[in-house]
Amino acid sequence: MISNRYHARITRRETHSPRSLLAIILAVILIIVFSWIGTEIVLALLGLRALLVAPVDMFTSAVNVVAEPTGAVAVVGIVVAVVGLILVVAAVSPGRRARHVLVTERAATVVDNEVIASALARHAAYAANVDPDSTTVSVSRRHAVVHLTPTSGVPVDRYEVADVAAKQLESYGLRRPVLARVQIDERGRVGA
Amino acid sequence: MNNTNRALNRLLIFFCGLLLLVVGAGAAAGVLVPAFRDWWKGATTGATVQVSTWLRQTPLGNTGVSWIMPAILLLLLIAVIVLIAFITRQGHGHTGVAVYERSSETGTTIIDSAVPEHAIQDALSRRPEFVTSHVSTYQVRRTPVLKVSVTCRRGVSPKDAATIIEDKLRALDELLGRQLPALIQISGGFRANLTKSTRLQ
Repeated sequence: MISNRYHARITRRETHSPRSLLAIILAVILIIVFSWIGTEIVLALLGLRALLVAPVDMFTSAVNVVAEPTGAVAVVGIVVAVVGLILVVAAVSPGRRARHVLVTERAATVVDNEVIASALARHAAYAANVDPDSTTVSVSRRHAVVHLTPTSGVPVDRYEVADVAAKQLESYGLRRPVLARVQIDERGRVGA
Repeated sequence: MNNTNRALNRLLIFFCGLLLLVVGAGAAAGVLVPAFRDWWKGATTGATVQVSTWLRQTPLGNTGVSWIMPAILLLLLIAVIVLIAFITRQGHGHTGVAVYERSSETGTTIIDSAVPEHAIQDALSRRPEFVTSHVSTYQVRRTPVLKVSVTCRRGVSPKDAATIIEDKLRALDELLGRQLPALIQISGGFRANLTKSTRLQ
């Protein structure tokens, strides 16, 4: 296939977050801070009154931060450090999206987890003989959890449902296999 | 699909995070750890003297101010311009040409991206499995790539959806006489939850 190397790149990009929103927010904050510092410098050079803090005071207060009240500085410092840590983690973590890759020939295919869940729910509800509205499925990277609320008085065959779910998942041709798990509510629902 | 520079995004986030981490941890350690506080005081006294000497040694003409301040101002201005460029650079990557071929001696063949886009979209709009479909063309490493994004009705098997779209793509290959790399994006989404579920098996 001529297009396979494009497909590899595309699927990788489509299943991971670009982190654009966070980067744009940070860039905007930086622009605001830089513009403010720049304005303060201009005002100081013209000998006018500072908007908030004059550049000289910025420098001296940053240097003398250890002389400030311990509690306040410690709390603010720790909060700032935690925010920093979160940003570092966001920068280096993969940032996977809730999507799976299908093995297809002609094109690169990505599917939202909720589409897999809703298809699975339909078949699970049919196999369990319960109302589709009493079936919820959540799909993650490795697992699909089928949660059923049976109709009162109608027993649900757990193995049948598990079997159908496994077969369905297999038929989708997901690149990363997903394991099905079936949970059945102990209490049924009347007339559902 | 777009040509957002993701490494750059992560680099910016990483350095902002690192800066906040160091500043925050430094400030907290400065008031909580006595040994660090003493070191900090010693270091900053020297630094303050150093900075004020620099400011005195770098007069700007005879105005009485140092040229360091205007220099910082210039650096801040450059940084702001670079950041604005960084923001506007996000996204992009659409292309209006699907095929560009300088094949024969008599001329060049250009197929507008609207041709495959409309063909696929028209074919998909008649299918009951999909609530909506949208086709667009992106430039990925200087090659046009089709992006077919569809919103499925509730309960449609993703494999079936992919097969339907792949069939349309193959038909398009026949039409164009060549294969365009393609991405199929199958999503559920809010609108899919509101529509009635499929009756297809």
